[in-house]
Amino acid sequence: MKNNAFNRIKGKEFIFSALLVALVTFTGCFFRGLIDASNFTVFYLLAVVISALSWGMTASVFTAFFGVLAFDFFLVPPYNSFSVSDLKYIYAFVGFLITGVIVSLVASRSRRQSIETRQREARTSALYRFSNETAACETTAQVIGAVRKNIGELLGCSAAVFIQNADGISPAGSDADFPLDAHENAVAQWVLSNKKPAGAGTTTLSAAKAFYVPLGTPQEAVGVLGMRTADGRVIFNTPEMELVTALANQSSVAIKRAILEERSREMELAKKTQALQAALLSSISHDLRTPLVSITGALSTLSQDFEAVDAVDRKELLLAAYEDSLHLNEIVGNLLDMTRVESGNLRLNIKQCDLRDLIGVSLKSLKDKLEDRAITVDLPGEIFELPVDFALLTRVFINLLDNAAKYSPAGSGISIKAEALGDEALIQVKDSGFGIPEQDLEHIFDKFFRAQKPRQVSGTGLGLSICRGIVEAHGGKIWAQNDPDRGAVFFIRLPFNSGKRRD
Amino acid sequence: MENGGMRILVVDDEKTIRRFLKAALNSKGISVIEAPDGEQGAEMALNSHPDAVILDLGLPDMDGIGVVKKIRERSVVPIIILSVRDDESDKIAALDAGADDYLTKPFNAGELLARIRTIMRRLAPRQEGSVYRSGGLEVDITKHAVTVKGRPVKLTPVEFDVIKILVMNYGKVLTHKKILKEIWGKTGEPEDALHLLRVTISNIRNKIEPDPNRPEHILTEPGVGYRLFEE
Repeated sequence: MKNNAFNRIKGKEFIFSALLVALVTFTGCFFRGLIDASNFTVFYLLAVVISALSWGMTASVFTAFFGVLAFDFFLVPPYNSFSVSDLKYIYAFVGFLITGVIVSLVASRSRRQSIETRQREARTSALYRFSNETAACETTAQVIGAVRKNIGELLGCSAAVFIQNADGISPAGSDADFPLDAHENAVAQWVLSNKKPAGAGTTTLSAAKAFYVPLGTPQEAVGVLGMRTADGRVIFNTPEMELVTALANQSSVAIKRAILEERSREMELAKKTQALQAALLSSISHDLRTPLVSITGALSTLSQDFEAVDAVDRKELLLAAYEDSLHLNEIVGNLLDMTRVESGNLRLNIKQCDLRDLIGVSLKSLKDKLEDRAITVDLPGEIFELPVDFALLTRVFINLLDNAAKYSPAGSGISIKAEALGDEALIQVKDSGFGIPEQDLEHIFDKFFRAQKPRQVSGTGLGLSICRGIVEAHGGKIWAQNDPDRGAVFFIRLPFNSGKRRD
Repeated sequence: MENGGMRILVVDDEKTIRRFLKAALNSKGISVIEAPDGEQGAEMALNSHPDAVILDLGLPDMDGIGVVKKIRERSVVPIIILSVRDDESDKIAALDAGADDYLTKPFNAGELLARIRTIMRRLAPRQEGSVYRSGGLEVDITKHAVTVKGRPVKLTPVEFDVIKILVMNYGKVLTHKKILKEIWGKTGEPEDALHLLRVTISNIRNKIEPDPNRPEHILTEPGVGYRLFEE
């Protein structure tokens, strides 16, 4: 009564079995009296075999008994009565029943085996698919995603994967309808600590809403897999349990591999960062020390032997110290910019800015360096507005203009041009210098890279990488080309809608 | 000496900076009183009656902006802020709290003295009426007349209002917020009003700057506001 579907399915088997018996009996009626009745038992046996192979043992035993009754009633004289005229029919009945039951046993076992084989094949191919899928995953999160997807498809339940971390265990990925709370977490924690399944459907901590199995080897657990079917039924049958175990094993391997890979990637990154920091440190300490040497030297000379140094030299020493302190300030500024760009948390204060104004500010702060330069600014329209961080983009222009001045002959011109191309602005900064060696074009934006130049040019090799960092933080792109005529051109592409995206 | 008898309060926790400022100012005939923290700084600004205050924003005991507010509660003494690069928001907050100007560290003595002189001149009673003159630019506020190198320039009423507020505060940084409030009566910084301000400034530059691409009169303080530069 508790399950209608159950009754209906069972009933169907008996109805089909009864129909088979009826068919044999009906056909037999045509031959009634023409052949010896005991010959019919062969056909009834056929019905028993078919029933056993198709619907299993209960149905086939039912067929055997029902067959005997039908046989007796319709085909054994006297007809249409259960009485038997000849004793030999009683033997036939007994013989038929015994054979029928034995055939039922054998046939239904072979049926069960073939069903199991089919299930096992399905499971094997499912596991194969699963292992392929997890092997293609690169991160733990991806593996956990694949585990959840496959558990969902194969067992029809929602799943959650808990991963061990420093403070115990926490869900690393779960389906939306999985019941996550402190209590369920505690059950998962128990499963991890004891390396035994527990939760709903088991005898341990059965008050839990889901069923939990440990992931990992007996020596080292990596996490816990939680499962819960949509209707709250968490009791799996034996083949399902086998599948759960197999999936859990596969998942353990995949998750462990992903964790190890992530760890090794982290270590590699740490190593690279360390190497970079060492390079940075040695380069910076050199850049910082050079001006400091001159400042310390000049000031110590003056403070110790002020009277001994003649007035012209005094002025000379102080001027050198002052110039070098300005240079030092520039380096520190660049380093600060670099740190901000590198740290990845460059906070952009994006507002609409007048590009001409921005260029004007950049030109003003380089007033001394650009004194002898003819600078042309070519902007379209009345006002050219861009959503950028004014101060940061000024740093970009200062660096580019400073570079243009450094790498081109004194007195040669520099031009700045901007135009709107669809939803982007294209800005060009062009000098009339020696250009950039073709093989260096790709690398000039790398940290500490400095193009080989015919003359000594001072700098930290950070300027252009700062430019790139700032432009990319705006969702833009910066690159360099050599002008076919003469000089280098730096291009900046900035989206007109970056402000909307960032804020 | 034009600075004769002037007395300036320096509020900075760095002894070396106080020493440098003292030497630089003394050499121009300005006497210096010092305070190493905000508490003493505010107290001395109110009780020692200095002619101007140089205030470092990064003080150990209290927020520099708090010091500005405390001084402004009872005094209109000019305040020049010293701040580091990259903190526009602090500069804006200090200016909005009533500071007159700011200098970004490191700065040289010449810059500082120029700022002090500008502020003092602005505060001094005007002798030559209300005509502002600087580098070929002349603005006569009462006559509503602007000339560049003797040639009259036609400004729209809004453009004139903007140049007028800049002239009245020449040498001083005016924040976007302040200009929007004074000229357009806007509170806050709505983007449409800011756009109007940028366009107006751009138009004024086209009319009064020798090279509008490299302005010499109306200078932009990145992220903060505008300043009328006086030669």
